[in-house]
Amino acid sequence: MKKKLLTIVLSIGMIFSMSIGLSGCGDSSEETSQMVIGTGQFIDTLNPVTAWAMVSGEVFMLIYDPLVRKDDNLESIPCLAESWEVSEDNLTWTFTLAEASWQDGEPFTSEDVKFTYELFLSDVGSASMYGSYLTGIEDIQCPDDRTVVITTSEPKANMLQNSTPILPEHIWADFGEDEISTFANENPIGTGPYKFGELTDTSLTLLKYEDYFGTPGNVEAYSFVEYKNSDSTAQALKTGEIDAAMSLNVAQMDDLAAEDGIDVISGEVLGFTQLCINVKDDGVGNHILKDVDVRHAIDYCIDKQNGLDMAYLGAGTIGTTLINPSDKYHWEPTEDVLRSYDIDKANEILDDAGYIDNDGDGIREDSDGNPLEFDLISIADNAEEVKYGQIIKAGCIDAGIEVNCTTMDSGALYDQIIAYDYDMFIWGWGSDVDPGVILNVLTTDYGNEPGWSNARYDELYLKQAVTLDEDERIAMVQEMQQIAYEEAPYIVFVYSNTIQAIRSDKWEGYKMIPENGSYFFNLSIENYMNMKSK
Amino acid sequence: MRRKFIIKKTMYAIITVFIVLIFNYILFRILPGDPLSMIMRNPRATPEMVDTVSALYGLDKPWYTQFIMYFQNMLHGDLGMSFVYKSSVTGVIATKILPTLWMLGMAEIIAIIVGIFLGIVAAANRGTKIDVGTLGFSLVTYSMPTFWLGIIMVSVFCVGLRIFPVGGMQSPGMSFAGEGAQLLDILHHSVLPIITMSILLIGEYALTMRNTLMDVLEEDYILTAKAKGFSRKYILRKHAVPNAMLPMITIIAINLGLVIGGAIQIETVFSWPGLGSLMYESLSARDYPLLQGLFLLITISVVLANYLTDITYSYIDPRVKD
Repeated sequence: MKKKLLTIVLSIGMIFSMSIGLSGCGDSSEETSQMVIGTGQFIDTLNPVTAWAMVSGEVFMLIYDPLVRKDDNLESIPCLAESWEVSEDNLTWTFTLAEASWQDGEPFTSEDVKFTYELFLSDVGSASMYGSYLTGIEDIQCPDDRTVVITTSEPKANMLQNSTPILPEHIWADFGEDEISTFANENPIGTGPYKFGELTDTSLTLLKYEDYFGTPGNVEAYSFVEYKNSDSTAQALKTGEIDAAMSLNVAQMDDLAAEDGIDVISGEVLGFTQLCINVKDDGVGNHILKDVDVRHAIDYCIDKQNGLDMAYLGAGTIGTTLINPSDKYHWEPTEDVLRSYDIDKANEILDDAGYIDNDGDGIREDSDGNPLEFDLISIADNAEEVKYGQIIKAGCIDAGIEVNCTTMDSGALYDQIIAYDYDMFIWGWGSDVDPGVILNVLTTDYGNEPGWSNARYDELYLKQAVTLDEDERIAMVQEMQQIAYEEAPYIVFVYSNTIQAIRSDKWEGYKMIPENGSYFFNLSIENYMNMKSK
Repeated sequence: MRRKFIIKKTMYAIITVFIVLIFNYILFRILPGDPLSMIMRNPRATPEMVDTVSALYGLDKPWYTQFIMYFQNMLHGDLGMSFVYKSSVTGVIATKILPTLWMLGMAEIIAIIVGIFLGIVAAANRGTKIDVGTLGFSLVTYSMPTFWLGIIMVSVFCVGLRIFPVGGMQSPGMSFAGEGAQLLDILHHSVLPIITMSILLIGEYALTMRNTLMDVLEEDYILTAKAKGFSRKYILRKHAVPNAMLPMITIIAINLGLVIGGAIQIETVFSWPGLGSLMYESLSARDYPLLQGLFLLITISVVLANYLTDITYSYIDPRVKD
């Protein structure tokens, strides 16, 4: 009995020591210029019609090409479409296509574009993450192999922001709707600069496509590896197990910056985090919040600089309106309407609006004696947002507003939002290059979370979507932001940054995209294409 | 007599699984949170998209229709389609089950062997420095926070000594010379999670073994054996340890039943592709089919482990049969 035990223990020990001896072999990746990127999330599926994970979108950008791509300033540049023109009435777009081949050797033709767009316009395709790019397209014609003519019902302002991946008709045409929605696409074939290599439980490897029609990339292979917590990601970057990391947190930034040979950045991402206030007419939330004066007073009570420093450790920009400040569509509130931290101003507004503390408990009441007491929900596993809730609470009490902070998981919160059974909560939205995407979330039709409805905002939303003249469109988009800022159903308090890092001792050729943006997840593949091993 | 006992226990096991299944089904639907909102919280999602996806997963049907469909499909061995992974639940679970079984199974085996050994040593040397040392070690490791120990192991062995990789089960994108090289790569990745997990488990086994063995050593038949002039070692091996193993079997069986559930924290620290983190992810995404599949698996393995313990007991402990 004891002998047997000893044998087992010994053999386990041997296995362990054998594998220790192997540790030297991990470095072989350098010779083949393989870049390993640690991500905090893993691909949900390789089928672009059903995928929703952000990292899946990143991978599709490399495997598949759209008609038009984004350069390092996020301006539109030719990809599968060599050139394009739009008719006088702005309703007919003619795209001239490049000579490209699918990664399985088949030629790429205009029929592939027609097929793909029709797929994404169908019931199953329109429910995908690319579905909304194509709304408004009425007809697609292929006069020859190299030409696609697209007719829209109304002018389509976001036509060149359309990043829908073009899929090969010869592979996808055979599927019915049901099959497409369950298709695993285990060996995706695209026209893109990288082709599918290998998929394991935690990693996906892409290999350089040698016959790419454009300028091929320098790096032979990219591997995306999932790390389930960002501390491990940071450690793996230090040891050189990975070459780059996508989703680090601010706490790791200083630690990594102190290390030689690592570039770590805090880059702007499109999107914002907001305090969302229930203004729904027949909602269950505290009706006092329907008074815009109260919402403004709360905004004045938020010490946004302190919040940015304390909760986000400085990684971000103070928030104001729906679109990021670096974006040309951004509207910056003028000095006289800007609501920055000012308790006196908050007190003044509340005094003027008739909210007075009559019973001397430090909390103001409305004319019926209802106290200004609101619940604020943060999502429990988001440490920054939970902290920010406390900062809002601390500011509000100075103006006689009581805020009770609670936390719950996102599922539970969502149920309360749907029922409009909440006072205030904190969460954020991610955006896109085209401003229409983020403006959509406050339209009445979208069923927005604060239950807000503004006829002028809705009207402008429809109008800007069909305005091709950029200056005119900017004017409309800015007016929309102004309306939303004045009405304050959202109090946008931060544009938070993403923390990413690359081993600069091994790699070069990358930069922040756009100027203050990030290395990855920036809607452009420029960094993947220009990356070089040292 | 024994046949009747086994039939009875089998019936109990089947009924338990069935009740737990119904309970799970209801539980997940009482939980607040809508799976669709989790999949599609995106500024590009329109109400029409939500309706389409809802119909695709059958979420537009009333709950009793979904319930009946669930049971019908399950009897055909179809556990449904995961909302998040868009592929069959059986497939998703199958890819994660081996890593979990390997990592936790190995950790359990090491912990059981080392734990029992430490327990025996401590009990046999009651009151000495060896006993106090073992007891101290067991108590400290038993109460150690999993995540903390994991991070310490990572910073010592991966960042400091650089002898083990930080996470994952395989080096990504490597082409291996052969099956053997790939196996070694997996082993190399497994060492740290397995050692960490077994350190955390040893305490429970050592403490239980020590306490039961000390009780047994007080029994009259041990005194009798001593009086007969048997050596201390012989008494320990032939009289004391076998009798002290009975409660150990219970603990081992319960723990082995839970192995399948994975270890969320260890899997998170070491980015191990196991069932524990899969469960956590599917819960936060309200991925009903996947959750049901995972809970069914765990239910069956716990019930099975208990069932086998009952049966084993009826053989090794004559009192249980009645």
